[in-house]
Amino acid sequence: MAVDTSAPTARQRVARQHKHPVNQLFHDEATFGERVADKASSGIGSWWFLGIQSVFIAIWIVLNSIEFFTHKWDVYPFILLNLAFTIQAAFTGPVLLLSGNRQAQKDRLRLEHTAEVAEAAEKATLEILEEIERNTEATLQVLERLRQRRVARGT
Amino acid sequence: MSQPVTHIPEALRDEVKALIHLRLRQAHRGPEEDHKHPANQAHYEEATRGERLADQLAAAMGSWPFIIAQSCLMIAWVYFNVWGIFIAHWDPYPFILLNLVLSFQATYAGPIVLLAGNRQSQKDRITLEHAADESDKGEEHIIKILTEIKKNTELTLQILSELEAEPA
Repeated sequence: MAVDTSAPTARQRVARQHKHPVNQLFHDEATFGERVADKASSGIGSWWFLGIQSVFIAIWIVLNSIEFFTHKWDVYPFILLNLAFTIQAAFTGPVLLLSGNRQAQKDRLRLEHTAEVAEAAEKATLEILEEIERNTEATLQVLERLRQRRVARGT
Repeated sequence: MSQPVTHIPEALRDEVKALIHLRLRQAHRGPEEDHKHPANQAHYEEATRGERLADQLAAAMGSWPFIIAQSCLMIAWVYFNVWGIFIAHWDPYPFILLNLVLSFQATYAGPIVLLAGNRQSQKDRITLEHAADESDKGEEHIIKILTEIKKNTELTLQILSELEAEPA
């Protein structure tokens, strides 16, 4: 089957301009704070962040444990590293909630859009039904005419 | 025979679409009330006191003012304990009490995140239940339309047999 390559896929569209009204309102028209919130959550929730954090921890522990280095700033049991972890957690929690709140807002908006569209679709469906009923009515009249003609012909 | 005209159902015309977009825009920045979707109504307008409190808690903790205030507090804490003059250094380097305070915050943040998550999963459940209702209604409509078209086809076939019976 030939695949239409000219039309942008949903994934490509995400990077440029959104088609869905909820995405338009939510992403294309996001405020500065909302954009930063999205960047923060996608930054913390990435493999890059996890990788860099792991390397950072490894270096910290190595520099503070090996005899070769003389200037140690946080020897065993790494109390300052503990503080660093806690600071990270203290920010991750609120950022997690921030991103959750964003998603909840989006969900709210999506449902409102669904309700509006469903209402329009239902109206359209009823209109289709009415139109078909009108068609049936007309067809019935054609049939009646033909029958009357047959009776008149006496066959 | 004349060209068939494309009829756009009234509910799908551009004016209606624009109106929907406008209402959506108002709902986006507006207060969390007067919802159209039953799941939103159940979630926001019919929330119990505990649920409202959970939402407010999540909204307060997951906000820029909270994050900025916390940062300022941390910086001030470290500043006063390292360089602060005219004030007792109540938690000198490596800031063990600050660690405790932040751990305390994290201890509450976890359950609050889960509280918010539970609220959302409850909403998801309501949404799906409503979607099932809607799908039933859609099915009903489709059956009605199909029945009507079949009736129409039946009549058209009868017309055909009437025409065939006519002398050429």
